[in-house]
Amino acid sequence: MTDLMDRTENLVKKAKALGADEAIAKTSFSRRTQVRFSNNEVDITKVWNDYLTEVTLTWQKRVVATEIRNFAEAEKRVEDLFGLAKVSQPNPFYGGVASGSFSYPESGADKRLAYLEEPTAYVEAAMEAAGEEVPRDLNAGGALFANYEDVYLVSSEGPMGRDARSAIELSIRAFSEKEASGHGVSCSSTLDEFDPVMAGRKAGEIAWLARSPVAGEEGSYEVVFDPLIAGSLLGRIAQMASAFFVMIRFSVFVDKLGQMVAPEYVTLLDNAAPYSVENRLFDDEGVPISEKAIINCGVLKTYLHNTSTAKQFNTETTGNAGLVVPQPWNIEMEPGSMGREEMFAEVNKGLYLTNTWYTRFQNFVTGDFSTIPRDGAFVLEDGEIVGSIKDIRISDNVLRMLKGIKSLTEERQRIHWWESQFPTLSPYMLVEDVRITRPR
Amino acid sequence: MDRDVVEHALEHAMGYDVEYAEARAHSAVSEQIILRNGALEAYGQSVDSGFNIRVLAEGGLGFSSTNRWTMEEAEAVAETAYRLARASGRRTKLEFSEMESNEADWRVGEKAKIRDVTPESKIALLGGIDKEVASCGVDVPSRMIQCFPAQIEKYFVNSEGSRIASYLPRLACFILITVKEGAKTEQAGRQFGYSGGWEAFDLWNVPEELVHESQVLQRLMRKGKPLKPGKTTLVCGTEVVGIAAHESCGHPMEADRILGREMAQAGRSFIYQGGLYWLGSRIGSDLVTIVDDPRVENSYGFYEYDDEGVKARPRYLYKEGVINEFFHNRETAAMMGIDSNGSARATNYDREAIVRMANTYLLPGDMTEEELLEDVKEGLYMRSFTEWNIDDRRFNQRYVGRESYLIEDGELGSPVSKPTIELTTKSFWSAVDGVTKDLRFDAATCGKSDPMQGIPVYTGGPIIRLREVYMK
Repeated sequence: MTDLMDRTENLVKKAKALGADEAIAKTSFSRRTQVRFSNNEVDITKVWNDYLTEVTLTWQKRVVATEIRNFAEAEKRVEDLFGLAKVSQPNPFYGGVASGSFSYPESGADKRLAYLEEPTAYVEAAMEAAGEEVPRDLNAGGALFANYEDVYLVSSEGPMGRDARSAIELSIRAFSEKEASGHGVSCSSTLDEFDPVMAGRKAGEIAWLARSPVAGEEGSYEVVFDPLIAGSLLGRIAQMASAFFVMIRFSVFVDKLGQMVAPEYVTLLDNAAPYSVENRLFDDEGVPISEKAIINCGVLKTYLHNTSTAKQFNTETTGNAGLVVPQPWNIEMEPGSMGREEMFAEVNKGLYLTNTWYTRFQNFVTGDFSTIPRDGAFVLEDGEIVGSIKDIRISDNVLRMLKGIKSLTEERQRIHWWESQFPTLSPYMLVEDVRITRPR
Repeated sequence: MDRDVVEHALEHAMGYDVEYAEARAHSAVSEQIILRNGALEAYGQSVDSGFNIRVLAEGGLGFSSTNRWTMEEAEAVAETAYRLARASGRRTKLEFSEMESNEADWRVGEKAKIRDVTPESKIALLGGIDKEVASCGVDVPSRMIQCFPAQIEKYFVNSEGSRIASYLPRLACFILITVKEGAKTEQAGRQFGYSGGWEAFDLWNVPEELVHESQVLQRLMRKGKPLKPGKTTLVCGTEVVGIAAHESCGHPMEADRILGREMAQAGRSFIYQGGLYWLGSRIGSDLVTIVDDPRVENSYGFYEYDDEGVKARPRYLYKEGVINEFFHNRETAAMMGIDSNGSARATNYDREAIVRMANTYLLPGDMTEEELLEDVKEGLYMRSFTEWNIDDRRFNQRYVGRESYLIEDGELGSPVSKPTIELTTKSFWSAVDGVTKDLRFDAATCGKSDPMQGIPVYTGGPIIRLREVYMK
């Protein structure tokens, strides 16, 4: 594979020879497998092989980029790209890319995920585990996804690195009735920590508990958020910490650096840790990945930056490039000290929500939004589940909800699935005074 | 695009013991132009080209794709797809519905060819839009313009003899604005889409639309008042009708949802066999006929043949208030014992073709807007929406108004801040008692499938009136 590194480096040299001020090339070769299933059967199995080189170059503050999938054309495409830069326009906000020489640790990627043997066996294991919790009429569906990717990055400003990234995840939704379902996920960077049985068991347990739901009632509730729904919401919150989102004012964090945005026991990190399905050694500028607190003890500490956005905010890159849009890699909410049962026992009258989808904002600056819980939703009384409900909506404000976090569990779960764009490590969260609405 | 490689992949797949095989190639020359507050953040150009093989063998489906255009790779992906299909181990064997083979070569014309418009001209036009918004007299501190021109070539062949080639130029433009008034802010996002050439910008009137949005949001912050909760008459503008038609008619009528194939991702449907709603069930008033037609000229969702080689035709989804026809690809059609109605779409060569909408809209009626409004004593006109969502059965939905006004004695009154309607699909469509003869479309990107396939669609309709709906 050093051949791929050489080819990647040659493109950077070519761009510089043409006159580019800066050039970054990243070549990736990914092998991905997916099994999709529904109605307790496999629907389709897919394998993708993708070869891709992304080249970004700058010339007199003009930023241009291309994707090359045919290496035979690569040099010509770089020439065309430099031509595009010459007729393009300067970006006065542009602040450069990272420079220097970095060293990276060895990747711990799991090579077995490049060509997953008998992928349907994992699906069957998950469905069987769900079936043990749903003694009759189980209907399960979902997806298994495995990825192994070789990445070669070369920057004219010094960084040069090789990475291998791997991931395996299974998402299963189990139905015990047409309107009673549960969802479970298992995600890992390695096969060893992947547990499809756990995902299936959780989906089945919730589906069975959710039988015979009745319409929920409007009002304000104390709500226990399962790690699955907490993960979806935390991902959206972390995305709004991207400096680019802040600059275009699609963020609740505009002008809030240094302010308390959550109680002091809330700490939210970005950390592309080796366990994560978004594991990586460096960002798209070649800056080594590091753990950083977005919210530390309730205080908004930093936006997520690449070198250019950092310069605009008079700070340092956080290693979250995206060359245009910085992004979170893997969100971790620091655990609390409470056990799950202990948290449930805190609730005299409230709700336990297990999943959501369709989170939409009226106004990203104010944070007014709504989202629709799906799968098991339960009424809690004196810490016990006393009923299954449906047809409700959280119609609230994300800043208000952050400030309303009452407690967090010690237990955390890894969350990533179709609805959650960014992977998270999420505890159960107890939030007070959550506004619930329903159709009339 | 080397068609010989595609044909070779199909031939190789047919050499195995398959019930069906197809090869679909997809090449896109794409650009991405991003302006923030008038400055060009980045200009991207790319060519993505590859093909896939999908095989039905032993009642299972296998899919493999690549972007390496060699005969050896073609054989490798065909072998992989066959192996994956056989490994499915299905108890219920999949079949595809019958269809006649088709041969066609369809193209969408461009009055101004995308490739002939220079990057400088493209940047200048988008910069001009930004300038007009920035100087319109309203404080718009954040303006984000993204433009995505694309030229898409496809070639589809299958084991039944179909050969479909196509060329589709497509333009998309997304604009996000934040308007400030003192300490308050309001935001709007607009999307424009077109199948055809750069002439789209002559038709879209983007600067006028954005200046109007800016003024509306400013007026809302200055004069908008909350709505007093209660039952009232609601008049929905075409943008609101379009989203409702898409979300609460189009999606629940997708047969793959109804049959459960999307159960763990985009969800199921309130329509299912043995349930309260099925073909023939009433879901709205007689005035409600919702159609999806991929052949709307230059529409964002345009196609002549779908991605399984089936000829496109209009689908009458809700007809005079009754559930009439589902969207089908060949897999779901076979399960229901009928023919596909040409609803299979894929966003690229590395995605399977699944059941999708194209251009979904409510059929116009015969009233004018004035006639619709004149006998509304008290009500609300929701011309456009901001936040919206709907449950995964497509029954419980909510729309929050962006540009909204009180109606008093048939006349539009003061602006209303964030009026909200939260009701069921049946309540929404059953309350319709007036439909105008207007028809307007908006572009949207419909999300579905895993991995996600954001597919271009139109949503649209006339202006409609709903009686006695609860609003807050």
